[in-house]
Amino acid sequence: MRKPSPGQLVATAIAITVFGVVGFVSGTYGSALVGETRHLGVVGKADSSVDSLKARYRRPTMIPFPKDNLYTPQKLALGKKLYFDTRISVSSAQSCASCHSPAFGWADGLAVGVGFGMAQLGRHSPTIINAAWGEIFMWDGRLANLEEQALGPIQSPGEMNMPIDQLMERLNTIPEYKPLFAAAFPGEAMSAKTLAKAIATYERTVVSQRAPFDDWIEGNEKAISEEAKRGFVLFNTKAECASCHEGWNFTNDGFQDIGLPSEDVGRGKYVPGVVKMQHAFKTPGLREISRRGPYMHDGSLATLEAVVDHYDKGGVERASRSDLMKPLGLTVQDKADLVAFLKTLTSELDPTAMPVLPR
Amino acid sequence: MRLPSLTLVMLLGLSVGALGANMTIMQKGRMFSSESITIKKGETLTFLNDDSVPHNIMSTSPGNDFNLGSQPPGASTDVTFKEAGDVAVICAIHPRMKMTVKVTE
Repeated sequence: MRKPSPGQLVATAIAITVFGVVGFVSGTYGSALVGETRHLGVVGKADSSVDSLKARYRRPTMIPFPKDNLYTPQKLALGKKLYFDTRISVSSAQSCASCHSPAFGWADGLAVGVGFGMAQLGRHSPTIINAAWGEIFMWDGRLANLEEQALGPIQSPGEMNMPIDQLMERLNTIPEYKPLFAAAFPGEAMSAKTLAKAIATYERTVVSQRAPFDDWIEGNEKAISEEAKRGFVLFNTKAECASCHEGWNFTNDGFQDIGLPSEDVGRGKYVPGVVKMQHAFKTPGLREISRRGPYMHDGSLATLEAVVDHYDKGGVERASRSDLMKPLGLTVQDKADLVAFLKTLTSELDPTAMPVLPR
Repeated sequence: MRLPSLTLVMLLGLSVGALGANMTIMQKGRMFSSESITIKKGETLTFLNDDSVPHNIMSTSPGNDFNLGSQPPGASTDVTFKEAGDVAVICAIHPRMKMTVKVTE
């Protein structure tokens, strides 16, 4: 572990002497010289009128695809078959859809996922809805993009347990896959890379549908109840939900320890020297939320009411807990309003047609 | 791209904290006010949280790594870079916040 330099110690001493505050100097990060932290109180107050709040939540009109994996219908068709194909797991019993099923809001309806050998996993299966807008993937952010994510659970010993070379050998023995890969990736060999690109392309097309909330945002005052409208204002003000659940997909993909009493360090495993990353997990979006319980990274809360109660109380106090977590003082009516609002984010999802798989 | 403004610290007269500081990066709306900035080795950059939520600005770039920890709204901290090279600066909390500090000799 690196010791603070004399310069850092001097700077910190000045801070304590002059300002009575300590500039944070990590024991792990310290090559650059960090001075004192001053508190200037220069933060402006955001406009919280309902119209200005609404403007922050408008649905996008296009799905973003990365430049190195642009959309084609051929990639989509191949990706959908791979997504629903149980033969991509070593047991030939699990597909992506086993844990991320359209029947359960593109998750599995369980507290925690079930992996290879029917063993329970440590975390709740996240939905793939609106993954196209994701900045970073997995609860702990260990994978950088959807292409990497697609290959993660396939190879993970605890999940699908399928070595990638073995998977490509198996797919090569299924004759009808060859022309599908050739159409999706002309001139390229069947490979882990093209498989990942196809699955990611399909996943990017899984988008939450128009919910009552969207109709309200666009001017239909009758689309949601008065209770839900009050809940929307609370969500953005007193309850401070929108500090993290912001924008049309209701997440900024940030990592926060929200004080759940779990031993899991989450993001902390990948950013070990940063206090606020211990027990921190990625903020999930809230679209189609009524279909996605149980809730939280560990599936520990069964209902939206329980989730709102947790935030009202503030969770376990510890150094890593987000500075945004604190008792909120919500009334019974506030909590009911918030839940009513959250339920307006769920659409009448169209059924998803199962693909016929290559043989 | 918005240009970095002169530090508010100087304007507010907190001269002890502003020694050597000449440029400020702000964080409003979960965005750095610059994607890239060039400074000389030994110069100081001020990270001012003018946003409504805490940030955790840090870098793991060798020779210039640092971690400001949780920086509440309204807080301002100076960082002096000692080695030449590109420094990747992020917010640990908000992965969409990324910028590069180019430190020249």
